[in-house]
Amino acid sequence: MTETNMYPPKLEKIIHLFESLPETERRETLVSYADNARKQEPRPGEKFVLEDVRKDEECADTVGVYLQVDDEGKAHFRMTLGPEVQTLTRAMTAILCKGLDGRTPQEVLELPGDFVTRIVGTELVRVRSQTIYYVLTRIKGICKVYLDRQRMAEVA
Amino acid sequence: MTTAPMQYAHPEALVDADWLEKHLNDDGLRIVESNEDILLYDTGHIPGAVHIDWRTDLQDQVIRDYIAPDKFAELCSRNGITRDTTCIFYGDKANWWACYALWAFRLFGHEKVKILNGGRDKWKAEGRPMTREVPKYPQTNYPVPKKRLDQEIRAFADEALAQSKAGKPLVDVRSPGEFKGEITHMAEYPQEGVLRGGHIPGAKSVPWKTATNEDSTFKPANELAKIYFEGCGLKSGTDTVVYCRIGERSSHTWFVLTYLLGLDHVRNYDGSWTEWGNKVGAPIEKSA
Repeated sequence: MTETNMYPPKLEKIIHLFESLPETERRETLVSYADNARKQEPRPGEKFVLEDVRKDEECADTVGVYLQVDDEGKAHFRMTLGPEVQTLTRAMTAILCKGLDGRTPQEVLELPGDFVTRIVGTELVRVRSQTIYYVLTRIKGICKVYLDRQRMAEVA
Repeated sequence: MTTAPMQYAHPEALVDADWLEKHLNDDGLRIVESNEDILLYDTGHIPGAVHIDWRTDLQDQVIRDYIAPDKFAELCSRNGITRDTTCIFYGDKANWWACYALWAFRLFGHEKVKILNGGRDKWKAEGRPMTREVPKYPQTNYPVPKKRLDQEIRAFADEALAQSKAGKPLVDVRSPGEFKGEITHMAEYPQEGVLRGGHIPGAKSVPWKTATNEDSTFKPANELAKIYFEGCGLKSGTDTVVYCRIGERSSHTWFVLTYLLGLDHVRNYDGSWTEWGNKVGAPIEKSA
């Protein structure tokens, strides 16, 4: 598989956008995505096949991940973020909900994580750098649970 | 025994939000934001505030150390700071990084430093003005400091060890779980980067948070005196070394002991637990 088709098209577009930006504009764009993180919250009446709301050590506050799988088997994600969640995590939430929308849970699970630093850039990677992978880990986690349950249902 | 003071030793080292809001445009004053959240300044800050990042601005990018004096002069010059500028620091996390930046400024001998009591969270919670406009100030020509005050306000690992062996005051400001060695980082953070848990032998546990109120402001002088003088046995005229994990929480306690309680020789061991807990042969206690 070549690098060009390794990522879903929506995500690849976002990666290319960030890679083309100078550092100042990269920061501004991340902040802009962070501002839009609340738009990823569940909307009234939406139903989900799985909900995973918890606070764990990799993140400063509670993060909720909500998975919807449509009739074609495509995944759609919603997320809720506590007030203490850091700006970079908020940005990754908006980026990933948009970039992974419409992929199958299996495709999301197989997605390599190396694109995260291509979006965030080396300047913003810190000692606590694994926090930038947190949202991706949570999204992959809920997909894994979904797929495990599907397999168990098939066996039963 | 030290008498409990009724007021801070250096009340001028604190400003409150009301005062700052009325003096945002004063000459000779520079507001400095310093945060743990790397992008927080970009999302909005106090009008006129500049951003100083603890790692990219204050630390050497290769060696684990602070920038050299000439780099500090450059940092101040590009932020329009002169030797006479009063720098008012504030930030997230109850001012951890603000205190860290203030301590680093003191390391280079900058004298006019203050903390915004309550920090960024209180300012924002009170609905005070915020902006995304990044200010530009005329370049100054900050003189290169002749030296860093490493001897005066900073402790290194061998000095912390000597402090431990001599039975002199060592204050561990981390959480109780870190002090006991049950975890190597604050509970809500990834437990990375340190091979051993525990504390420096002889250190007393006084978590940084005991010095603050719920709104992140500092407790009054008499309460601080009870905690540190009566509870921890600290007193003037004795060397005191404070430490945490990477030196930011201990900067907060360093500020409390130095400016609010007026202790005269407090040093921050900024290598802290990420150095001590990885150091081959360093003695460690794991008692409660």
